Amino acid sequence: MVESTLFTIVFVLYILAALFYLAVAFSRNEKWAKPGLGLAFAGLVLHSAALLVRTFESGHAPFTNMYESLSFLSWAIVLAFVLIDRKFRIPRIGAYLMLIVVGLVALASSPLMPKEAMPLVPALQSYWLWLHVSVTLLGEAFFAVAFITSILYLTADSEEKKEKMDSASYRCVTVGFPLFTLGGLVFGMVWAYKAWGTYWSWDPKEVWSLITWLVFALYLHTRIVMGWKGKRSAIIAIVGFLAALFTYFGVNYLLSGLHSYT
Amino acid sequence: MGVDVRSAWKFFASVKLAIALLILLAVASVIGTLIPQGQPSAAYAARYGQLAGLLTGLRVTGLYHSAWYLILLFFFAVNMIVCTLARFPAKWRRAFRPEVETETARLLTLKVKDRFGKNAPAEEVRTKLEMVLKARRYRVRSRASDKRLCLLARKKMFGHFGSDAVHLGLLVIIAGGIVSGLTGFRTYIDLSEGQTVKVPRSPFEIRLDRFETEYYPQGMVKAWKSTVTVLDNGASVLTKPILVNKPLTHKGFSFYQTGYGSDWDNPKLEITVKKKSDPTFARTVQLSVGERVAVDDKDAGRISVKRFVPDFVIGEGGRVETRSQEPNNPAAEVEGWKGAEKVFSGWIFADYPDFEQMHAGSRTDLSFVLKSYRGSEYSVLEAARDPGVRLIWVGCFLVTAGFFLAFYWPPREIRAVLEEGRDRTEVAAGGIASKSRESFQAEFEDIMNSVRRS
Repeated sequence: MVESTLFTIVFVLYILAALFYLAVAFSRNEKWAKPGLGLAFAGLVLHSAALLVRTFESGHAPFTNMYESLSFLSWAIVLAFVLIDRKFRIPRIGAYLMLIVVGLVALASSPLMPKEAMPLVPALQSYWLWLHVSVTLLGEAFFAVAFITSILYLTADSEEKKEKMDSASYRCVTVGFPLFTLGGLVFGMVWAYKAWGTYWSWDPKEVWSLITWLVFALYLHTRIVMGWKGKRSAIIAIVGFLAALFTYFGVNYLLSGLHSYT
Repeated sequence: MGVDVRSAWKFFASVKLAIALLILLAVASVIGTLIPQGQPSAAYAARYGQLAGLLTGLRVTGLYHSAWYLILLFFFAVNMIVCTLARFPAKWRRAFRPEVETETARLLTLKVKDRFGKNAPAEEVRTKLEMVLKARRYRVRSRASDKRLCLLARKKMFGHFGSDAVHLGLLVIIAGGIVSGLTGFRTYIDLSEGQTVKVPRSPFEIRLDRFETEYYPQGMVKAWKSTVTVLDNGASVLTKPILVNKPLTHKGFSFYQTGYGSDWDNPKLEITVKKKSDPTFARTVQLSVGERVAVDDKDAGRISVKRFVPDFVIGEGGRVETRSQEPNNPAAEVEGWKGAEKVFSGWIFADYPDFEQMHAGSRTDLSFVLKSYRGSEYSVLEAARDPGVRLIWVGCFLVTAGFFLAFYWPPREIRAVLEEGRDRTEVAAGGIASKSRESFQAEFEDIMNSVRRS
């Protein structure tokens, strides 16, 4: 009850933040960024509280079904946004990111997603659930920010803006990629070995994590060794995020495999 | 020959090859998730029709174990080895065998640079600069030649080797995969309570002491728990519960709780006996196969179950068989006894209580309902021995550490040349950092300012 009330308030705060950031994007006046950031931050704090309440009420990590994992992912995206905006001062990304967040929260609140906290099936009873899912989703949140900065790179009209978006994208990848590797692949392999007795079984979710990983490896090699920047880097980052999105979402609904828990 | 080796080396040392391989591996992996893997060929024929032959021929149906995918991985590995080796010596020299001497002119071409004069002897400026640099954890070396003093300060040099650590880690992971593939071994073991089996390819046995299924109040399964004892030469070595996510490990073998099943050889049955002549009559008896039990009634005599099948079907030649080990159509063959004489027999069905198929000539007033049936549950454990797994963890550690070094341990280098003039010292300094240049720029300015102001 407390959790769903908090979640509703969070939803409203995120919508308001998105509106302020839309004002930034369309009026090209950055004075709306400050209240936008304040609202997003307030949302983040209450969202953290909602996740904690749910954890205490259900007694397990808050990412065992689609509702919980969408809620956690949107939390992680807001966190990544706040961190990146602090570093690069690019409130323009706020409009798009907060719209994505609002979309995710709306999807989580939709009647399609069962919300009751179910007791954990034996396969998920492990502290690796915490490590594997939280670190992976945090990495994917940074990929989401890289996705937006890359799109804004492609649509930006001035060199100065392009420069900023490009370096923000790169920073997101250098944070997101290690997190994704550690959480998704390393922790995933450790957990798979503990639960299934094999660290890798070519399950579709595993393969799609590998594909995502290969795309971002491509991003880093073309950028660091071959000096690609700007447009081509932005396109690879966009493809990488789409692969990550498919790993997170598409695999569950379109392909079947070991990871079918939700 | 020499030319061949050299051109092969050049081919594998190229980053373009790495990029081509990353793309090819990604595309191949995508294909493998779009086409179901490892299905029987009939399934492909049904799904893809004429294309099925092509798909199986190209091994797209077992893609991740196909020769061409493995060849891609092999190229990937050789590419990583050659690329790393080709760049390593120069990197090593740059990181650990640096030239301390610097041309002033070269310093001034750097992006991060500073130049100022100070009214103090060169030695004093050097001491101050060294102190400031050391306070920021730089390692400082200097070389003096008449009137000219070169200073080299560096830190976090291991940051240069982040990518090498990642590549080495990936190679170790691939090696681990090969070891797993060649020497790894896994098998399923079905165990009923009290049963002891020798673990294949091991010197010991395991016995299942207890198998329990725990439920949540809502009725969902909470845990499957097998309490297992390891026996070495008949003597018990350890007893431990195995749960999902909590395997038991002994002498390189690990045992995982992977499933359970029902054993229908000796089920516990409950049969309700009724009388056609007396609708109020009902007696329930509990029995197992082969057991004769008396019904609590003077006319009814005793009954037994000759046979139980979980999934009744009439097979070839009219024989009763079971289609599967799932209780889809449980049936029991009931026999009635008066003393030692069998007076009737017939099949009854749990799902079709009204359908009674008593053999001709075995008319009886009694009718039977198969009220419940319960096979004894057995536990399915997976036994695995995988010597490759240690390499995998070493590789994972190297990859993670490499990422940390590559992105969060940025190497920094500051060079300075002090030239002593008549009453002042000219300082020229420059800095090199390939990553996080902004914070380096700030640090560099701080250092120079504190020397300037002292």
